Amino acid sequence: MEHEQVEKEVTRKSALIYLPISIGAALLFLLAASLTGNHPLVARIGGMVWVGLLSLIVSMPVVISRVKKQFQAVPLEK
Amino acid sequence: MKRAVRDVGYEAQERSEGANALDRERQVREEEIKRQGRNLIIAGTIGLIVMIGTFYDMLGAFKAFVPEFLSYKWVIGLLTTPIVFGPGRQFFTNSWRGLKHGVTDMNLLYATGIGAAYGIAVINTLFPNAGFGGEGATFFESAALLTAFIILGRWLEALTRGRTSEAIRKLMKLQPKVARVMRNGQEEEVPADEVELGDAILVRPGESIAVDGEVFEGYSAVDESMLTGESLPVEKKAGDPVIGGTINKTGAFKFKATRVGKDTSLAQIIKLVEDAQASKAPIQKLADWVAGHFILGVHLLAVVVFLFWFFFGYQMFFDPNSSFIMSPYKLGEIGVFGFSLLLSVTVLVISCPCAVGLATPSAMMAGTGKGAEFGVLFKGAEAIENTSKLQTIIFDKTGTLTKGEPSVTDVVVSEQPALNRVAGSVNSDRLLQFAAIAERNSEHPLGEAIIRGAERRGLQVVEPETFNSIPGHGVEAKAERTEILLGNRKLMKERGADFSALMPQAEALEADGKTVMFVALNGQAAGLIAVADTLKEYSAEAIKRLHKLGLEVAMITGDNRRTAEAIARKVGIDRVLAEVLPQDKAEEVKKLQAQGKKVAMVGDGVNDAPALAQAEVGMAIGSGTDVAKETGDIILIKDDIRDVVVALEVAKATMRKVKQNLFWAFFYNTLGIPLGAGLFYAFASVVISPELAGLMMAVSSISVTLNTLLLKGFKPSVGRGQRPASTLRLQPAQAPTGND
Repeated sequence: MEHEQVEKEVTRKSALIYLPISIGAALLFLLAASLTGNHPLVARIGGMVWVGLLSLIVSMPVVISRVKKQFQAVPLEK
Repeated sequence: MKRAVRDVGYEAQERSEGANALDRERQVREEEIKRQGRNLIIAGTIGLIVMIGTFYDMLGAFKAFVPEFLSYKWVIGLLTTPIVFGPGRQFFTNSWRGLKHGVTDMNLLYATGIGAAYGIAVINTLFPNAGFGGEGATFFESAALLTAFIILGRWLEALTRGRTSEAIRKLMKLQPKVARVMRNGQEEEVPADEVELGDAILVRPGESIAVDGEVFEGYSAVDESMLTGESLPVEKKAGDPVIGGTINKTGAFKFKATRVGKDTSLAQIIKLVEDAQASKAPIQKLADWVAGHFILGVHLLAVVVFLFWFFFGYQMFFDPNSSFIMSPYKLGEIGVFGFSLLLSVTVLVISCPCAVGLATPSAMMAGTGKGAEFGVLFKGAEAIENTSKLQTIIFDKTGTLTKGEPSVTDVVVSEQPALNRVAGSVNSDRLLQFAAIAERNSEHPLGEAIIRGAERRGLQVVEPETFNSIPGHGVEAKAERTEILLGNRKLMKERGADFSALMPQAEALEADGKTVMFVALNGQAAGLIAVADTLKEYSAEAIKRLHKLGLEVAMITGDNRRTAEAIARKVGIDRVLAEVLPQDKAEEVKKLQAQGKKVAMVGDGVNDAPALAQAEVGMAIGSGTDVAKETGDIILIKDDIRDVVVALEVAKATMRKVKQNLFWAFFYNTLGIPLGAGLFYAFASVVISPELAGLMMAVSSISVTLNTLLLKGFKPSVGRGQRPASTLRLQPAQAPTGND
């Protein structure tokens, strides 16, 4: 049970980190695409989704493993 | 425990790890092969139809045989959908499972690539004017063929894993299924894994011996070649040990089970090979680390490629008349997003380090299996890697280079008058008798030789009144009012026994390669006993082959330098470490290592344990029936010193295969990434489609797999049939008499 609680906590804390990173990257792309060139809206939206997805894939495992390590380093209080 | 359970009226079964492991392993493997095979049939068949439909306009005269509706985008989409969500589903579920736990693997690359290609294709089919490239950018065939090619790679991987553990399967097949146990006076056939310690087992001619044991009735000859390499059947009579998995030839006998279940020699050999195949070599750990970090790096690269082509590359280099290799689409139909996305997806797929993950473990499995075929058991993948780098090999002398059964060759009695005053009349028989009495409680091979020599002369060897062993020096005992001191010159010097008169004879005997033991009676030099141990049959040949392989060979022994050098000359060893006490052998190994050499130690594992542990590679020889020895990284089952050469050759061949595999794996990636990223597009308007990238990755896995399978044909330079026939004469076997 304790293990499950830890897992849930890791998932929650990690999501609070990687989701903003991915969304941030996506929005940054949208901003850059809007300010530069004459890219059609569809291309900008499509690119935003793709950059956001790849950023999520990159950040998710990195963040989760770091957060897990933090939990393992801190002894659990009884 | 089983007997106690049976005594209260219940049956108890011991789970045999060997047989169950085989069944489990075979089941899992067969299921995996069937599963991927089914996926391949579905993805391959439908993928072929998708491809025909996609290239419909290029079919020319063959159009007459293909219905036109197959070229409609929505039909192609309908055909692709079951591929992606059927056989392709494993990539999505596995990668999501991994991501949730912070783990990335190849499935992630495949899922991203297939998902993106399929997603864009669906959008462009349903909403062609949405601006993602239109009808010309429906890459359903990319998703379909990519899935098919990756599953092809997975199927081949599953097949290879099965073949490379064939060695274990061959060993496991030796395990008999049933045993004929004598219980309550009745003969009962029981499963072999239900045999208990102490059970009496009857073996008839032609049957396999179920477990390890000791014969107590009957006489026969047993074929032990599959485990010990002994080419002729070995006679077995009461008191002789038998090994589970060997085959009874001519007679019938009964034996008592001494080791059952996972404790039998065969079970331990199987476990050793299994453990070795599951272990990771240092090079593999490095490859795994690279592959793991590579996947994240590849996704980052995919982002960079997308951003470059979206913001810069498309405007600078795009040529509407160019097309993907092996694709019907002109790139003019694709907009900036479609083009950038496709290159990004291609990079994901073509960068997949799937072959890297396969390169080392497949070769290691094949190598450990190959070693086991020749009686060389590597305890781990690290043992293989270390063996391939060896520069120096140290051999223990007694029992390793020599047969370990020395015999008395000379007895020289002192002619000093003082001897008769202190010990009475002493002739060669009397001298040998005193020496034998002193060695009666000794377990040293030299002591046993003296006792054998005395018994052969019909001399009575009584129990000494007192006995003391002085390790590295000799023994002292008292019998018949005589103080007996037997040992080397060091001992005599320490105890003040003057052997100067006998030294010329001692040195002459030592120069002949004999071990000379000095005997003093009541403090007076009494004589010399020379013992010679015969070299093992192929010792000289093994040393010669090792020199040919470029290795330095040394010999380590507690024997005196003169004897040791004489033996070394006979076998061709140029470096001798003599007069080394047992506890100092490991130090000698350390000294060589301090010179920067990679050292192996070959010994019988009994008193060589510290040296075996100290060396980079410890090889325990002649341990065929006692694989419980924990010392050593390699166990040489047969008592053939040439197996040291076999171990080296197998290790080198395996590491060569690992390096070749890694080369091919990285070659594809190194070549493919720039191609996939569009590096050559600016110069040659050439770019790779995602499905071609998938094909290249399948080919990289196939080439690694095929390369590994070539190891099956490897044969060491030492042939198995090069043993001279034994002079053993078989006597007619006798059936057991009487009832139990």
